[in-house]
Amino acid sequence: MLITCPYCGPRDLAEFSYQGDANRPRPDQHDTDQARWNAYVYDRSNPAGPHREYWQHAGGCRKHLLIVRSTLTHAIESVAFAGAQGATPQAPRRAAKGRTKTGPAKGKKP
Amino acid sequence: MVEPVSPLGAAWKPGAYPNTAGESGLVLSETRPGSIVQAAAWRGREKALIAAITSLTGLALADGAGAGRVDGTKAAFGFAPGKFLLVDQKEGLAAVLGAAVGVETGTVTDLSHGRTALRLAGPKAEWVLAKFFALDFSQTAFPLGVGRATSHHDIFAQIQRSGAEQFDLYVFRSFARALWTALCHASKETGYRVE
Amino acid sequence: MSPRRSTEGGRIDRGRTIRFSFDGKTYQGHPGDTLASALMANGVRLFGRSFKYHRPRGLLAAGVDEPNALVTVLKGTVREPNIAATQIEIYEGLTVESQNRFPSLDVDAGAVNQLAGGLLSAGFYYKTFMGPVIGPLRGTRFWMACEHFIRRAAGLGRAGRDADPDRYERMNAFCDVLVVGAGPAGLMAAKAAAEAGKRVILADLDPVPGGSANWSGETIDGLPAAAWAQGTIEALGAMDTVRLLPRTTVWGYYDGNTLAALERVADHKPAPDRGEPRHRHWTIRAGAVVLATGAFERPLVFPGNDRPGVMLADAAVRLLREYGVVAGSRLALFANNDDAYRAAAALAEAGATIAAIVDMRDTVSPAARALAERAGAELLAGHAVTGTKGRKAIREITVQRLREGEITGQPRRIAVDCLLMSGGWSPAIHLASQAGTAPRWDEALQAFLPPKPTQNWVGAGAFAGRFATAAALADGLAAGAKVAGGKPPRKSAQPRVETLELDIAPAPVFEIRPPGKAGKAFVDFQHDVTAEDVRQAHREGFVSVEHLKRYTTLGMATDQGKTSNVPGLAIMAEARGITVPEVGTTRFRPPFTPVSLGALAAERYGELRPDRLTPMHDWHVENGATMYAAGLWYRPMIYGGRGETVEQAYVREAAATRAGVGIVDVSTLGKIMVQGPDAADFLDRVYTNTFSTLPVMKARYGLMLREDGLAYDDGTTWRLSQTDFLMTTTTANAGKVMQQLEYYLDIVWPDLKVTLTSVSDQWAGAAIAGPRSRDVLAACVAGTAVDNDTLPFMGIVRGEIDGVPVMICRLSFSGERAYEVYCGAGHGLHVWEALMEAGKPFAIVPYGLEALGTLRIEKGHVTGAEIDGRTTARDLYLDWMLSKKKPFAGSMMMDREGLCDDDRIRLVGIVALDDRPLGGGAHIVEHNDPAEIRDSIGHVTAGCYSPALGKYIALALVKGGKTRHGARAFVSDPLRKRFGPVEIVSHHFYDPEGSRMHG
Repeated sequence: MLITCPYCGPRDLAEFSYQGDANRPRPDQHDTDQARWNAYVYDRSNPAGPHREYWQHAGGCRKHLLIVRSTLTHAIESVAFAGAQGATPQAPRRAAKGRTKTGPAKGKKP
Repeated sequence: MVEPVSPLGAAWKPGAYPNTAGESGLVLSETRPGSIVQAAAWRGREKALIAAITSLTGLALADGAGAGRVDGTKAAFGFAPGKFLLVDQKEGLAAVLGAAVGVETGTVTDLSHGRTALRLAGPKAEWVLAKFFALDFSQTAFPLGVGRATSHHDIFAQIQRSGAEQFDLYVFRSFARALWTALCHASKETGYRVE
Repeated sequence: MSPRRSTEGGRIDRGRTIRFSFDGKTYQGHPGDTLASALMANGVRLFGRSFKYHRPRGLLAAGVDEPNALVTVLKGTVREPNIAATQIEIYEGLTVESQNRFPSLDVDAGAVNQLAGGLLSAGFYYKTFMGPVIGPLRGTRFWMACEHFIRRAAGLGRAGRDADPDRYERMNAFCDVLVVGAGPAGLMAAKAAAEAGKRVILADLDPVPGGSANWSGETIDGLPAAAWAQGTIEALGAMDTVRLLPRTTVWGYYDGNTLAALERVADHKPAPDRGEPRHRHWTIRAGAVVLATGAFERPLVFPGNDRPGVMLADAAVRLLREYGVVAGSRLALFANNDDAYRAAAALAEAGATIAAIVDMRDTVSPAARALAERAGAELLAGHAVTGTKGRKAIREITVQRLREGEITGQPRRIAVDCLLMSGGWSPAIHLASQAGTAPRWDEALQAFLPPKPTQNWVGAGAFAGRFATAAALADGLAAGAKVAGGKPPRKSAQPRVETLELDIAPAPVFEIRPPGKAGKAFVDFQHDVTAEDVRQAHREGFVSVEHLKRYTTLGMATDQGKTSNVPGLAIMAEARGITVPEVGTTRFRPPFTPVSLGALAAERYGELRPDRLTPMHDWHVENGATMYAAGLWYRPMIYGGRGETVEQAYVREAAATRAGVGIVDVSTLGKIMVQGPDAADFLDRVYTNTFSTLPVMKARYGLMLREDGLAYDDGTTWRLSQTDFLMTTTTANAGKVMQQLEYYLDIVWPDLKVTLTSVSDQWAGAAIAGPRSRDVLAACVAGTAVDNDTLPFMGIVRGEIDGVPVMICRLSFSGERAYEVYCGAGHGLHVWEALMEAGKPFAIVPYGLEALGTLRIEKGHVTGAEIDGRTTARDLYLDWMLSKKKPFAGSMMMDREGLCDDDRIRLVGIVALDDRPLGGGAHIVEHNDPAEIRDSIGHVTAGCYSPALGKYIALALVKGGKTRHGARAFVSDPLRKRFGPVEIVSHHFYDPEGSRMHG
């Protein structure tokens, strides 16, 4: 599998480290809402289809990338520098044909 | 100054090691530059950093991914957004550059002891490197002066093409002997010289 | 009456001979021969014994699809089993053994299995050996009794026990176009792409590329096809942009148009050249791929179809035209298609008698009839072979009338020494199947054709169901032009082919079932799966293709069903009364052919696992250190060599350090430069304590939590200037911490101006500890004082040691007065030796990891053994480090209910009351019963003999922690057979006030 790093170009999967689900905004450092922190640390969506995730080009430029990858086919829809998207990732995109299985409600659990 | 000790130790055995056909396809050496320095610019300050590098080293860097320059004793290339590796055979580049690059522009980090510079030169340099790194080392994909950051399993490497048939590898010092040994093994097939 | 060498023809060099041995007997062959062709030329027809029934088997095919003739190649003490004889190029001294026979291939005791054939049918193992024990000869226990004998009797070759001395390598390659298969289609594709200026790799699994051109006997552009192919290859090889890879099997097609290939670099020579790998594993990233992998001929299924001498028609043609071997002197052909008649004509031309052509079709085309006539063969249309006879090789076939699928009429016997068969062709769609949707069934060809691509490939030639050479050439040319992005090729670019046009489409019949009890009819030759086994699977309900495969093991042998796939499906389809595509097919998985494990492991094997060495590594080794692998790093464990035990050595080293001074290499600590105007702010966010208040040239001990609030890593961070910090991490966590910090900067706080750089290797570090450590420094450090005022606890100074700039920080991991001396790594050895020299008057000792651990256990310092991903800062009594003034990573999660529970296991010290060692992982219990393995209240994390206390001590995590100080308990370590009384004490065993460290 190849990932096209925006800086380094297409590189082998072996150069990259998976750095987690990108559908979970980290609460502000001063946020004292326990539920939001809990959601950030533990809640993950598990879609069958496009999935937003972070990968680090650890064996290259070491930048974190925001990648949309299909969990069904491994096909990569897009790659961008993670920082360019701002500090708070967007809400998860719905997968096609309603096949997304969403985990516990994001951030709103008591 | 006290001469730094090479990390290669007894693994560095100068001499000729031809293959079965009596040929030597490449030369392996450690270039031992006096300065290996990393310079990084804050977002939006890349041009200022490049200008400082150019005026101090005389290496006119282009502002593109991996863009780099080499001359006889100095080399520079980008390896990440806003980040450059600068190499000088003379010592002291970190201090000079550090003084020239203010905190409003970026940072300068001395890696002269932390990275080891290994050189592969000769017609079989691309062939041997391709055994280790999943990079396209061909002239068109990897032209003169260009640098790339990559890795061979645990060994992180920054590689610059410094000649028509010549590549310089900058690797973490602690891994240098292991990689050197592996490079020698991989070069046996084509024959090699150690200088 | 046996196969023989023809006087001319083939690519072998009759002028030279090569001697090789098979089962201890020496034979001669010629350069260019395979083991299969050379043995056939010597009249050998018995190559092996079959998997289950130990039936004698000969050559079925001539390529990678060979299921029968598997042998073991011996090189020195290394045995490589299960190699197809068709894939072995002979060389002087080649030594080969046949397999699965005892005592010899000729007389095989296991052949009695044939008599028990009914017992060993599909499902035998499941029915006999699995499930509850009912009667003495059933069930899992029975299996355990029989396993040894069954494994010995059934199966393939035996691997050797010695280490493989050969070298294996990996290679990365990039190209615009990868062409897989160098037959007529592949050659044209490579030519078209290369001429369009593309970088091309052309891989072919045979030693001599050319594919069917090497044996078709056709004429291309006025040249014999083989000569045309060699000329084309030479022209391609002369181009800089083309890389030819003969003997290279592309075996896997992965995401991103990445393909895996195995090059057999040195298998065809007695030994590899200097430095040459035996196999090279290629990872090829191709812009586009042309699949021109050809097709496999299919056997027909009829009783006795496995007898030596029964072979695929095309295999006999290959033997003749490539190697000059005539497969028999009196042959018959059994076919369901016109194309196979070529074989009869070719063999007849070489001087063999064609006794009969048995064709199951009633009508045969005029062109085929003409060929039969030319071969001098009696044409038996509407007939079938219903049986074969012969003990170790075929000597007679039985032929009967086949009318509308029914065998009728009187059997007729025909004496032959070779039977050629052809059941049509299956395109080799394996790679396409890995990079495409489901394959398509073609009714006319009775074959699965390539699926729609899901990656960037184009098919050409027989692979795509276009079998005629002219079609394949045109196809290849078009495919090459297409992937090169050029114009469609002109008609004139296409080579002219002179050949006899024959229809390749077969009759849709795969199996001949004579009425009554006939012999076994094999579908999967390698796994001994018969047509009856397939029907039995159907009767017992295993009707889906996946169940069929697993129940009968059809297609699961090393040949992965190359010859058996379609006949097996066809028989199941007939049993179910549905069509083949309705039965479906399984997806072909990689690898296409077996791949050596050596090639997959390649540089990760043996000495090529990278070692990380500190700048002082050689000194340690020269001075008697026993080195210990800590991750990839090598660190001194003890400096022994005086006949000491490990315990004696570390006790001596630790005691000497506390009494005088010791020195330890700490270069392996993770070191990260944290630089920039926001560096202090950043550290405040990631550490539990505050760093923005740290003065320049001071250090502070820091603790990091994970986002879930558990303890993560600790270390000291040194402020070198207002904006520059040198952070240290534990050796083991250096990489992980770096990644986590980069994650924060890239994703969470992209606005912070901070640069992180790994400088672990930039600095050599030596820690000197003990009451005389200051004296040592005073004796060798220039440019700065090192007294308590200049260099107080957690202070940093810069100076020089023997001409080398150093940075000295006063901090202690041992509880003694101690300093860490850092210098450029290239000067590490120099400074270390200067410190040793300066330490001589103070009897300085170098100490290793064991003594380091002992000193820290005595002092109660935590490391990875305690910060194990399950403990919190409070569990470790590090709550004093949790700032209440600011939030930090993990601060909102660390106070969750379960993490504040009073009953959590927390850090304590343990003293053995029976003067015996305490091992890490041992449990602490309150009951005094060694037999009771229960009711653990915690566990030992690290133990040692403490020279300072004169006792065996340990750190432990015990429920309630401090509240149990002074309590008695027991250590329970059943794995090490250790049980005994302990006292639970404070983890600060030694100098709890810290006067030695601060003084």
